[in-house]
Amino acid sequence: MKLAARTYILAVLIFLYLPIAVLIAMGFNESPLYQLPFSFSSHWYVELMSNRKLLNASWNSVLIAAITAVIATVLGTLAAVALSRRQFFGKEALRLLLLPPIAIPWLITGTAMLVFFYWTGIGRGFHAILIGHVALAIPYVVLVVGTGLTTIRADLEEAAMSLGAPPVKAFFRVTLPLLAPSIFGAALFAFAVSLDQFVVSYFLATPGSSTLPVEIYSAIRKGFTPEINAVCTILLLGSVSIFLLFTLFAKPGASRDRS
Amino acid sequence: MKQSRREFLTLLGAGTAALSGLSATSRPARAAGTVTVLNWQGYGTDEKWALEAFRKMTGIEVVNDYFNAESEMITKLRTNPGVYDVVLINSARTQQAMADDLLDAVDLAKIPNAAGLVPKLRDNAAFTVDGKHYGVAWLWGMNSLAIRDGRPLPESYGALADPAYKNKVAMYDDAVTAIALGAFMTGQDMNAPKDLKPIGDWLKSLKPNIKTLWSSEDQWNKGFAANEFDLSVYWSGASVRSQRNFKLPVTFVVPKEGAVGWLDTLAIPASSTNKTNAEAFINYMISPDFYHEWATKIGAPASANALAMDRLPADDLNRRVHAAHYLETMTLMAPLPDDRREGFNNLWQEVKAYYAG
Amino acid sequence: MPADAASRTPPTPDRALGAVPSAGLRLPSWLVTLTMLLPTYAWLTLAILLPLGAMLSFSFMTATPLGKKEVAFTFKHYRAFIDQPYLIGVAWTSLLIGLWTTFLCAVVGFFTALALARATAGRLRETLLILVILPFWTNGLVRVFSWTMVIREGGFLDLLARSVWPDAPSLGFLYSLPAIILGLVHGYLPYMVLTCYIALVTIDDSILEAAESLGARKWTVLWRIIVPMAAPGLISGSVLIFVPVIGAFMEPRILGGPRGVTLGTVIEEQFTQAFNWPLGAALSFTILALVLGIFATFSGVLRRSSSL
Repeated sequence: MKLAARTYILAVLIFLYLPIAVLIAMGFNESPLYQLPFSFSSHWYVELMSNRKLLNASWNSVLIAAITAVIATVLGTLAAVALSRRQFFGKEALRLLLLPPIAIPWLITGTAMLVFFYWTGIGRGFHAILIGHVALAIPYVVLVVGTGLTTIRADLEEAAMSLGAPPVKAFFRVTLPLLAPSIFGAALFAFAVSLDQFVVSYFLATPGSSTLPVEIYSAIRKGFTPEINAVCTILLLGSVSIFLLFTLFAKPGASRDRS
Repeated sequence: MKQSRREFLTLLGAGTAALSGLSATSRPARAAGTVTVLNWQGYGTDEKWALEAFRKMTGIEVVNDYFNAESEMITKLRTNPGVYDVVLINSARTQQAMADDLLDAVDLAKIPNAAGLVPKLRDNAAFTVDGKHYGVAWLWGMNSLAIRDGRPLPESYGALADPAYKNKVAMYDDAVTAIALGAFMTGQDMNAPKDLKPIGDWLKSLKPNIKTLWSSEDQWNKGFAANEFDLSVYWSGASVRSQRNFKLPVTFVVPKEGAVGWLDTLAIPASSTNKTNAEAFINYMISPDFYHEWATKIGAPASANALAMDRLPADDLNRRVHAAHYLETMTLMAPLPDDRREGFNNLWQEVKAYYAG
Repeated sequence: MPADAASRTPPTPDRALGAVPSAGLRLPSWLVTLTMLLPTYAWLTLAILLPLGAMLSFSFMTATPLGKKEVAFTFKHYRAFIDQPYLIGVAWTSLLIGLWTTFLCAVVGFFTALALARATAGRLRETLLILVILPFWTNGLVRVFSWTMVIREGGFLDLLARSVWPDAPSLGFLYSLPAIILGLVHGYLPYMVLTCYIALVTIDDSILEAAESLGARKWTVLWRIIVPMAAPGLISGSVLIFVPVIGAFMEPRILGGPRGVTLGTVIEEQFTQAFNWPLGAALSFTILALVLGIFATFSGVLRRSSSL
């Protein structure tokens, strides 16, 4: 049974990584038109190293995604806890308000932000992109953390409180550790939402503050070259190594030991 | 508790400082000596060597910003007053921008190279009002057919419906161009067709042949390189680049009905604060020097400057594709009233839904 | 009482977090709630809800009120489905794509999460979970383009097939509905895996053992215990997938080619090509209304079933 389950996971991973493997391979293919047959070349990596614009944009993307993940996770977790554990009027309405940012195509949201930020003087630039990204990421955080909260038994908190723990302490000692995987997952998603977000960034970027997806999106018309694959590969390897270090040095399953 | 609150405030302060610092640096430098250009990416104004040459000549730094659709260009102009100094506008769109007072007239006397402009293009009524020019004619080109080498050259757009090209045709995903071809085939004026119904019917009749719809040069090149299609509606200037830079076996053909022509201008936004720099940049862009380099090394549409075209070698591919006689036979895209444009878009949308079904 | 029922019972108000007066800290309950909610909803209001409100008002106008053009009130954009009947077919295609994508993600994602939660532990589990989410961190556009290289005629799929059987017919299916769904499933699967995993990881072994010792068969355990426990995860995963997929335009356009005409691409073109924001906005708000309607119906059903 265990073997079957693990084989299944492996199959899913192969599906998930098939296009990623192609992406990486094409970064080493000589043809600028991604033509086959494959012929090895490190040409595009050399090109990339002198493409300051692309490198700058990539750095902007990572920075914005990291700040977005932190802000959205903190705010979204607070809201998710309130929505799931506290009683107040209008809760359902607040839940539904999380849907428009997900349901309305980003193109419309982006256009709306551009016009609204123009009217209110928020303008465009790094700060505007950040405001937009956090807002887009928050609903994802609330939904993911909210799912975690529905599966954590509220009676554990109550038990702690009935043993005399103050509610805040009960939350930090009981709920939060149990919730940690959800919060971590939510942060990963917030990061991903921001990193891949091109429409909103596209409308709110000023010349010079652009992000990697914006560069890719703008390049569609003219044509993007395997340099893009090269930069994606580097970013991917970067995040893989960060995570490998993380899992190697973090205590395995630390967050769940107490359950 | 108190401690952590103070820490939090410090953190917040540091964060805000970092952010404001970043947003300050991310704004383009607005010092004297820059010119900010709004254009398609990879369309001349961002060629590295050209910007280098221009800076050496004038000391002016060029900042590029891009749009991906003409409507987006107008939105960017509206919502970013004062940011742009030069903007690329298709002559069919100029009146839309003028209606909102987004453009200033350009004094051609201050642009020496304007002397070489073909008068027909220079004074085109789409952007010339009472003798004032709301844009400088820069480039023209054609949307027509491209065929894979080895296949017979098509004599008419009717080839798009030829069963010989079953599943081997790529259409340009653009309402105006698609309706124009339909208008040619039904004997109507592409800028003011009287009856859209037969146009829609003709476009729908292409369905068995349509392999793909393309919307970018990149998509076209990659699809053609992967042998997805043999016959396609394509841009004249892009066909030169596909042949010359990517060595693709393709030939650009203008069939007997004539090509769908377009004319791009460089205009100066009314809100520009660097108008002198803008004039200098436009002057460079329409110069034979820049054009010669761009057209022979990279591949470009045709210059509106006759002197620039004359500078090209007689057998130059770009010159052959954009032979001067096409200027007489092609139908130029004209400004469209809103309701007509909407009608075009709705029809093309309907045709595409039919292709999908 | 089954565990999932217990977990969904809201704590009684007087025992809820922050409500019980504690030693040092006395804050009125409403103030705590407000402090927790305000930052999020203030941010959402400023950055998304107000801008979308402006867009909603545009959808009732004859033109975008940005230029000098006269603008009048109109309902005509909301009549688009009547005036342009082919849009109904387009909406049907979008719905099919959305349902298939969500269904496939639910099936594949649920079992992946189950396998992760039941057959792995510790460091291996964390590594695998991260590996599932990591593809998300590569650019979506580039990922979709990579798929085109796999599934086009003469692409990687064909190369692979022909390395086994040289005369294999082309397996390429680029520019078709299955191609669109493939790309979307690939893009959205990690959401479902994560939400289901979060729901399943808290399953108590003792419950499953008890069920099995009482003679319950594997399928019974799966359907009667595990799936209901995973329900919150399946639901939020489906929200995160179905809702944005209806408006997606990149995957349909690139992988669907001429077959990829969906509500998402129609809306996109109203904004980019046609410059008809009011119509594009009206179409998206119609979708939003449908989505909210579905949720209003479903949340009632869900509440009823959980109160049983």
